[in-house]
Amino acid sequence: MSDPLLNAVEDALNALERVLLGKRQQLRLALTCLLSQGHLLIEDLPGMGKTTLAHGLARVLGLEDHRVQFTSDMLPADIIGVSVFEPTSGEFRFHAGPVFCQLLLADEINRTTPKTQSALLEAMEEGQVTVDGHTYRLPKPFFVIATQNPATQYGTFPLPESQLDRFLMRISLGYPAPEVERELLLGGDTRSGLSKLPRCLTPNELVEVQQRCATIHASSSVIDYLQRLVQFTRDSELFSYGVSPRGALALLRCARTWAWLEGRAHLVPEDIQQVLEPVIGHRIRTAEDIGSHAGTRLVNELLAQVDVLG
Amino acid sequence: MRQISRAAVIWQLIAFAGVVIPHVSWLPFWLGGLCLVTPAVRLMIHTGRWPLPHWSVKLLLILAVAAGLLLSFSRETGMNATVALLVAGLALKMIEIYHRRDALVLLYVALFVCATSFLYHQSIAMALYALFSVVLVIAALNSIYQDPQRTDLIRPLRRSLRLVSLSIPLMLVLFVLFPRIGPLWSVSMNQQRALSGLSDTMAPGDISQLTKSAALAFRVSFDREIPEPAQRYWRSLIYTEFDGRSWRVPAEYDRRSPGGESLLEVERLLSYEVIYEPTNRHWLVALDQPLSAPQGMRFSPGHTLYSLRAVDRRQSYRLRSALEYRLQPILSGRDHTAYTQLPDGSNRRARELALQRWQEVDQDPERFVARVLAQFNRAFTYTLTPPPLGQDPIDGFLFDSRQGFCGHYAGALAFLLRSVGIPARVVGGYQGGEWNPYERYITVRQYDAHAWVEYWLDGRGWVRVDPTAAVSPERVVEAADQVFARDPAFLADTPLARWRFGGSGWVVDLRRQIDALNFNWHRWVLNYQGQQMELLTRLMGQVSVLKMVFALLLPFSLVMLFMAWTQLKGRRAKPRDPVDRALQRLLSRLARLGVPRCSDETLQTYTARVVAEYPEMRSSMEVLARLDEAVRYAGQSAQARDLLAAINDCYRALRAVRPVSAENEVK
Repeated sequence: MSDPLLNAVEDALNALERVLLGKRQQLRLALTCLLSQGHLLIEDLPGMGKTTLAHGLARVLGLEDHRVQFTSDMLPADIIGVSVFEPTSGEFRFHAGPVFCQLLLADEINRTTPKTQSALLEAMEEGQVTVDGHTYRLPKPFFVIATQNPATQYGTFPLPESQLDRFLMRISLGYPAPEVERELLLGGDTRSGLSKLPRCLTPNELVEVQQRCATIHASSSVIDYLQRLVQFTRDSELFSYGVSPRGALALLRCARTWAWLEGRAHLVPEDIQQVLEPVIGHRIRTAEDIGSHAGTRLVNELLAQVDVLG
Repeated sequence: MRQISRAAVIWQLIAFAGVVIPHVSWLPFWLGGLCLVTPAVRLMIHTGRWPLPHWSVKLLLILAVAAGLLLSFSRETGMNATVALLVAGLALKMIEIYHRRDALVLLYVALFVCATSFLYHQSIAMALYALFSVVLVIAALNSIYQDPQRTDLIRPLRRSLRLVSLSIPLMLVLFVLFPRIGPLWSVSMNQQRALSGLSDTMAPGDISQLTKSAALAFRVSFDREIPEPAQRYWRSLIYTEFDGRSWRVPAEYDRRSPGGESLLEVERLLSYEVIYEPTNRHWLVALDQPLSAPQGMRFSPGHTLYSLRAVDRRQSYRLRSALEYRLQPILSGRDHTAYTQLPDGSNRRARELALQRWQEVDQDPERFVARVLAQFNRAFTYTLTPPPLGQDPIDGFLFDSRQGFCGHYAGALAFLLRSVGIPARVVGGYQGGEWNPYERYITVRQYDAHAWVEYWLDGRGWVRVDPTAAVSPERVVEAADQVFARDPAFLADTPLARWRFGGSGWVVDLRRQIDALNFNWHRWVLNYQGQQMELLTRLMGQVSVLKMVFALLLPFSLVMLFMAWTQLKGRRAKPRDPVDRALQRLLSRLARLGVPRCSDETLQTYTARVVAEYPEMRSSMEVLARLDEAVRYAGQSAQARDLLAAINDCYRALRAVRPVSAENEVK
């Protein structure tokens, strides 16, 4: 199985792992998300390597990236851009904001007001922004990697469901394992390694990978399994509401990419199980406490209840 | 604390109505009113027109109801007061049904009230109605656990019907097998009050009161031979003392040593079973002459049967009686005095008449009796509505009115006999009874009550003579209802009596069939205790505790198994596909070996776990997992046959595998 594209992606993964030690699973998921043409939400406490991950991904995929630090006094124009009157030409000229890039790193997205958060909506969904009646297309590919502190922290504006739904995946990095942390402490600054990361894929190759992933064979057995999972979230009393059709499609898309990363030409249930939590974890709520984030517990319950073999 | 849904409130109202209705007839009127008002109040609250009552209102209501109960039941300390208290509590609770907890309290008490209705009626109709109200209460119970979003009223009822019908087999098993523990349920309703029936004093005309009632007195089923109607003299009481107006059973009746006349020769023995309705009195009935008293019963000196404890519930007993018999012809001096005792100075004309006749017949007792009866036959009439008699009732009857009922004739004859020194006594009991051809038994009602005379004949002992037969022979030969039918006083207290008892053809037929149904109900359901041992012995031979426990447990475990099976069947339907079927067989085999597959495991991940436990399965399991993935997920359905073969290979390989030791399983 010597697919040059797959090798290139494997290289990218390996290179990233040197920067973010011991986080292979999360790196793989993040890459899966981008290769499935989706936006990624990284949720974790400060200092866990969210920004490093975002920067690293941009580098290995060879994407032009901008980083915006979201604050509570930020305005939509600060992201999208603004039309400024130019006295020399006597006209308004559009000054593109940081959103005009291939990979936008929206740092601490829940620190800013809902107004600014929703300014990102059109960009994320349509791949375009509209200012003063003019519509400007964003470059392709266009990714948003947003990071956020858990919404229970003080002084945050939790993302509404509609906005959460725009993110294909939500992952969290978590504390490193003790031995990994020890290595980290001994090895010194990893940020400097960031600049040494190689560029592993060209944008064209990226598009080709995306096309390949979409062709992975999904047998009816696997689709049945996926449907059972989705149906369970809708029927069970554990869930306050079920996964939407968009969520189901997202699940299939990510599972396909995961299968491709595994070097397979067909989907198996394990692919779905691997991406299940990041893909639907932020799209479901428990019935008992609708405001809480109990995605992981719910997904574990879901996995335990739905039989793979039907 | 959860608020109950709107549909559930409606169900509480229905259940409440269901259990209270049987009690309405005897409750004091204000309590009946309360049972109407509180549901109405709850309905007003339900429709949002009124708010929930303030606590002060509730307190006032409680005080008012408590006062009402005290006033209504201060003179009674029995079941009535207790049941009324329960019903009142239920009615008050109805107002504040709001949380699930309230509804639970209401429904549990409602079930209890439902059970208490059996204290008042034990008919088939009541049993059916109680079952119906249990269905209602269970439906109400269901409704409070129903999803509050659901508003339909029928669903709880359907569920309740299913639950109750599922439990019917268990009810039957418990009914047949469960040992009857008597005293727990023997609540005497009101022991002071005698129910209708014979009384221990008999003034002329008393028995004619009984003809107004068609209440059941007892039923008798005979083993083989059935006596002729004229032989059906059911002896119950011996009236010995006469005070000039009325005949009385001696006060020491119950305390006298068991005894009575000893039987010398017996012939024409009859075996029969009596199902006796409760009277709250001690005396019972027996066809003369009974041979031996059943357990808990004794013979009185006059050889009538009485019970050691008052008959406060339906009782059945078996007897053997001789229709032809001879008594020991010895009368003690004390008894002779007792049986010839008459009050001084009363009924002088009758005494004179007796002495005159006594001389006429040359002091021959039998001729004396024949003479008196002939006079009765000639000049007297038989009626249910005799005119009132004066100070000396015997005189008044014999010389003035000359019409009367059995009590008059018996009393007069006994008086005349005693006047001339012949020992005589009035016997009270029942005569005749209606033959029911459907279940082959005799029904005796209160209007069959009768009185006759026994007099002492030296050398023969007590001889029965029925003066009524001389006046109105058909009374003894035909059924009482036929004889009395034309008399307007007959069954005056029984509504629809003409229709129920007078009619002919199909009406009588239908009545007899219903009565036969009731007879079986009484015999097999209400009085089952008596039949239980017999039935159990027939079913299981020697009855032992172990067998009983087993017989009780077996149906319960069967029901549990059935439920478990339906639950499991719902979960894993049998797959049609041969591959899936073979796979399921393999997986359940592996599960038995201690490695059950978790539902989120594909065969790939599962294989790793199986191999860790049973390394010898490695090759076959891995082949299986690879083929399974190819067929199931990679779309290579051509390999399905290989897969089936691989599954079967695995299954065969498993036969050689020894289960991991228990030690490993614990780990």
